Amino acid sequence: MNENVTPEGAVGATADDSEPELDLSQAAAIMREARERALRELRARYPVVFVTWGLLLMIGYGAMWLSVLGQHPYTGPAPWSLVVLTLLLAAGAVTTVIIVGRPLTGIGGTPAAQRRVHYLALAAGLVGVFALEGALAHAGASNSLLGVYGATAPMLMSGVVYAASPAVWQDWSTRLLGGWLVVVAASSAYAGPVGVWGIAGLLAGLGFLAVAVVRRRRDRA
Amino acid sequence: MSDEELDPVIHAPARLRIVVTLSTLAPDEDLAFTRLQDLIGLTPGNLITHLRKLEEAGYVATVRSGRGVTARTGVSLTPSGRIALERYSSALRQLLDGAAGPPGG
Repeated sequence: MNENVTPEGAVGATADDSEPELDLSQAAAIMREARERALRELRARYPVVFVTWGLLLMIGYGAMWLSVLGQHPYTGPAPWSLVVLTLLLAAGAVTTVIIVGRPLTGIGGTPAAQRRVHYLALAAGLVGVFALEGALAHAGASNSLLGVYGATAPMLMSGVVYAASPAVWQDWSTRLLGGWLVVVAASSAYAGPVGVWGIAGLLAGLGFLAVAVVRRRRDRA
Repeated sequence: MSDEELDPVIHAPARLRIVVTLSTLAPDEDLAFTRLQDLIGLTPGNLITHLRKLEEAGYVATVRSGRGVTARTGVSLTPSGRIALERYSSALRQLLDGAAGPPGG
């Protein structure tokens, strides 16, 4: 046995190479079935992930916007809306892990390493963004400033990661989404602590949905 | 090899499944042996046998990494393997077209 092919746990290998004769139509059918199965099981369904995040952002940010709508003076989002947003973001993270993680299990190489770095950068960036928000509150930042920061900083950071990550370098639509998130975060901040939640949530959510459509069409092509 | 000869290394059900499955990965990706085994549905021993033939032909490469519980064997299609699969597909199409006969004949 070739020593290069000695996977972990494979002992007592048999040398059963007595395969049945293969006619032409069978060969064509095997090729088709093997390709379809591999594409079905080894490809992450990114359009589903983008639709999920698009809807979660619109609902979560929408809940925050409703909770601050009409506040005079501005006091900040209601606790119930923070709970809704947190639960939705957690649901999005779990959905992403399931939809992206399962099909890509066992796939190695440079792209896989880049994907790991991409998600680690996102996670580290979000931790940093929320830690900074805590520091701003501790330093006496106003509710208005914290509101604008809370709505836009995570989006700005995620956008930068998506726009610059080598993991999505080959995919122009995802890079474009990253750029779109940066633009939405930076510009919606001018709407103030109330409007920012509605505008940022709506525009970012639509961006995710648009990329989902683009990727769905490309996957089908 | 002429255009209409099927590569005997690839022209076997299990090996055909292996190379087609690996061809769906990006050129710089590989697939863990255990995941490939799940997809192809072979015993470890049979999969090793077929991978050995493909490796001897230069069509697949295997790389071991880690130790103990982190041990992993990655299997990938080499550039030669991709070319061989393209030639095989082309030859198969020609043979199938020939077997169908000329239209109206």
